[in-house]
Amino acid sequence: MGKTLAEKILSEKSGKDVAPGDLITVPVDFVFGQDGTMPLAIQQMEKELGTRKVFDPAKVAAVCDHASPSPSEQVSNVHIFMRKFARENGIHFFENGDGICHQIVAEKFAAPGKIIIGGDSHTCTHGALTAFATGMGSTDVGAIMAYGTTWLRVPESFKITVDGNLPKYVTSKDVFLHIVREITADGATYMSIEYLGSTINKMSVESRLVLSNMSVEAGAKVGLCPADEKVKAYLKKNGRVNEYRKIAADKNAVYTDELEIDAAGLEPLIAAPHRVDNVKPVSEFAGMHMDQVCIGSCTNGRIEDLKVAAEILKGKKAHPDTRLVVYPASRQVLAEAIKLGYIEILVKAGAAVGAPGCGFCIGRTVALGDGEKVLSTQNRNFRGRMGNNKSEIYLSNVPVAAVSAIYGKITDPREVL
Amino acid sequence: MALKNIKSKVLRVYPADTNTDEVISGKYKYDELDLKKLAVHAFESIDPTFYADSQKVKDPILIAANNFGCGSSREQAPQVILACGVSCIIAESYARIFYRNSFNIGLPLIECKGISKEAKQGDELAIDFKKNEIRNLTTGKTLPMKPIPEFMQQLLEAGGLMPYLKAQHK
Repeated sequence: MGKTLAEKILSEKSGKDVAPGDLITVPVDFVFGQDGTMPLAIQQMEKELGTRKVFDPAKVAAVCDHASPSPSEQVSNVHIFMRKFARENGIHFFENGDGICHQIVAEKFAAPGKIIIGGDSHTCTHGALTAFATGMGSTDVGAIMAYGTTWLRVPESFKITVDGNLPKYVTSKDVFLHIVREITADGATYMSIEYLGSTINKMSVESRLVLSNMSVEAGAKVGLCPADEKVKAYLKKNGRVNEYRKIAADKNAVYTDELEIDAAGLEPLIAAPHRVDNVKPVSEFAGMHMDQVCIGSCTNGRIEDLKVAAEILKGKKAHPDTRLVVYPASRQVLAEAIKLGYIEILVKAGAAVGAPGCGFCIGRTVALGDGEKVLSTQNRNFRGRMGNNKSEIYLSNVPVAAVSAIYGKITDPREVL
Repeated sequence: MALKNIKSKVLRVYPADTNTDEVISGKYKYDELDLKKLAVHAFESIDPTFYADSQKVKDPILIAANNFGCGSSREQAPQVILACGVSCIIAESYARIFYRNSFNIGLPLIECKGISKEAKQGDELAIDFKKNEIRNLTTGKTLPMKPIPEFMQQLLEAGGLMPYLKAQHK
């Protein structure tokens, strides 16, 4: 019987011929945590195992991104706790302003065939680089930091094939929103999504990162994209071409579920409050006033996103009744965006540009007011996520967000650009 | 060794897709490392009296529909539920990170089709891990539950993942 991509990677890593449902123990190639999950992981290690020593400092990272730059003395103390642990172990440590853990790991550590575990649900992001990457909680992260291995249940695989050309102003964000509308928020629970087809093959790694990042919003454990020349080029750009390797599913692999999508038939979509699978065409919300528009996050805060935003906002101003907030996903993205002139355009358009990090997405350093509506390029719109239970979060792609900032209301870019 | 049967009252029945932001808001979790203090805010945004009510029942049971615990990987979600004294959760299904996190810290999760309709707040339930069934003592109805996988039982018996691994690496 042929193997899916997930089964291939896990067979190789476990040294066994695995099938869905098998419980296996695998070595972990990279493990990381952020300021919301790492402190508890360290605590669990210390309290339960009586050790603070990691198995291999080169394979461990701690990132201060969720509440960064620190907004309070309590958070600053949590950061001190993480920093101390990082220094004494000599692990990779990323400071306030270095960026979001997922963007940093994509740039510096993820590669095809690796097993990557992060103390953050969006760790599945690295499937875009064909890594078996999945989120776990603090106890798992603590156990991996100590022993370097973890147990996994081999997932069933869900094949999603996307073919054809995406229409103008329709992005990989819309591809995913379409998927989650079709299969719902638990449609791929415990499963490995494999993204295939001509649309995916043509897609940049940056756009694929959106699909893999959001896979968890359909309950998936991982969201894998093909290892191909695009991945090789991405690794090369980041000085890691030696980490590239080809790994692919067998032609006769067995999938539990399949979904086929015609890219040409897609349109810009909105996920309305308070569920990611509450997806409707942008036209249904056209004209709705937005108090704030946010561009950034581990979903859509990369250079490709800032480029699109800058192109749309060049020479324009955000509407006076709408605050425009932009958070680049990493220091590397910010530096490149400065060099290419995007930041100047965005700042002149009225954007408040924040230090690379999670920023607005979790409402810890940028919070909404009572009754406010926000349009954001992030991945989740749960009630209260952006710091206020009495606010509403709408999700969209970058072109919709940028053009909506100009008009101060949800706007279909195909109508006005 | 088998798991100890549970007999207790239903504290709450939560709807489908109850997420971990609702279990414990992100606005608290970065500030507080003491789980007992954090527990006071459990379910605060959707159910402000949850914590107070949880303290009035001995070993309460939580019931939920499908995909309970979806969203963020925060382990603080099952941790605060455990810190409120909850003995187990019974749901139609769970999100995977929450599922893993709960067993890792010694909180039993039971999968049972139909439970969100067959159990109401205040009902008394008897959970039998040998027969793999849940009896609603208030209504007299009995529902079959999915057996807890062997490995998950081992984690619970050890008291969670860390004690389990510690014994293995001795």
